[in-house]
Amino acid sequence: MSLLEMQNCDVFYGKAQALHDVSISVEEGEIVSLIGRNGAGKSTLLKAIMGLNPIASGKRMYDGRDATRLSTEMLGRSGIAYVPEDRRIFATLNVDENLRIATVMGREGAWNLERVYDLFPRLKERMTSRGDTLSGGEQQMLAVGRGLLTNPELLLLDEPTEGLAPLVVEDLIKAMALINAEGVAILLVEQNLKVPLKLAKRQYLIDNGHIRWSGKTEDLLAEREKIEGLISL
Amino acid sequence: MSTIVIGLSMGMLLFLLAAGLTLIFGMLRVINFAHGSLYMLGAYLAFQMVSVTGSFWAGLVAAPIIAAIIGALMERIALRPVYDRDHVYQLLLTFGFILVLDEAVRIIWGLEYKQMYPPELFAGAIEMFGSSVPSYRLFIIGFGAAVSAALFFMLDRSRYGMIIRAASGDPEMVRTLGINVSLVRTGVFSFGAGLAALGGAVAGPLFPIELGMGFNIIIDSFIVVIIGGLGNIRGAVMAALLIGMTRALGYSYAPSWVDFLTFILLIGTLILRPEGLFSRKGRTA
Repeated sequence: MSLLEMQNCDVFYGKAQALHDVSISVEEGEIVSLIGRNGAGKSTLLKAIMGLNPIASGKRMYDGRDATRLSTEMLGRSGIAYVPEDRRIFATLNVDENLRIATVMGREGAWNLERVYDLFPRLKERMTSRGDTLSGGEQQMLAVGRGLLTNPELLLLDEPTEGLAPLVVEDLIKAMALINAEGVAILLVEQNLKVPLKLAKRQYLIDNGHIRWSGKTEDLLAEREKIEGLISL
Repeated sequence: MSTIVIGLSMGMLLFLLAAGLTLIFGMLRVINFAHGSLYMLGAYLAFQMVSVTGSFWAGLVAAPIIAAIIGALMERIALRPVYDRDHVYQLLLTFGFILVLDEAVRIIWGLEYKQMYPPELFAGAIEMFGSSVPSYRLFIIGFGAAVSAALFFMLDRSRYGMIIRAASGDPEMVRTLGINVSLVRTGVFSFGAGLAALGGAVAGPLFPIELGMGFNIIIDSFIVVIIGGLGNIRGAVMAALLIGMTRALGYSYAPSWVDFLTFILLIGTLILRPEGLFSRKGRTA
């Protein structure tokens, strides 16, 4: 049984259809990535999973139950955490508050403030700084930390390494591997193959609102050129 | 001296209203025209409690609680369905609240003035620096300062304040953390309604209680909110004291220029610092 299954989902922005008959699944404890160009529908799909975009037709199954009608807050409480592309740090809250707010309704579990500060020591140094004074890398760590503090089973990461310095990217990759090693499944969205090839065992390729290819990472490598052509990376 | 006391007490009263307006605007993006009616309702409720129980303090406690319940109902039943619509609908709706509340007050309490008296403890006057100051005014200043301190403590230090600040900026992201934002909205509206009624109850012994009493003060409260910076509650404190002092000084030295002075402050702010006199960039709640 999969942890999350999106079955034949159609999603619209106004009258324009953004996702066509999209089906993806995430197994417990795995890292899967979703790769596609700008505007391919990656963020739209993540938002649909989180209940932030309505699913016009199709199903969202979570933990073996039909979760199509669950609200965003119920999905959050059921164990899905969302780390958006633009991080969406609470600007008027300081770093510590940005983390603590996730514990208010978060689930019980292995992750607590102390462990998040251990994972990202830089955040501890900046504990009392307001959210809108952080650098891009700090914001990304904070967004991941905030998501972790809800003690999720599934972490949705939207382009976590975008626009970050290579050293920070290395740190984040290590952090993601560590988080996954603790049993948290990760759905990783990226524009290119660089990070997904390092972390994910399975890949989905999306273009123009359609899933064009899905399969194991080694199969992707074997047919890399042909597959990259499919989604014009 | 008495001018300063009158100014400060006026400022505190304005702050109670402006704080509610500011919180509601920050959280719901709704400009609540009915805030003045809730203030009026608070005065009538307090009057009623005082005539039933004989205790001013019972009125001071009961009025905001009843108004908060009414506020919660207003938000749940009427405002919630129109959040996704154009702002005009919300404005019209809060305007509708005015009509309903005013009519309800007229039916229940009639048209004649009601009068409330300060509690015995603060009924007299105190000699300060050679002038006589009504001690009830001093009570308002102390009480207002205590309420604002509690409010800031709640916003800055408590878990509720943290959620309100976060949800004022990015409600969707707060929802992803499992927090029921629509409940927070109801809470904030209800709390704002309670603050307005608290203002009304405190103002009861100062002014005649009448149907139009909400109208005068709501204009000044909106001016306070704009001068303080829309959605900036710290700015609202300073602006409330500024407007309160301006009006008190105006009444003693140039009574016919009072409104003129207030509006000059408003226009000056809008021209020179439209984001509010006391605004720090990016500051909300």
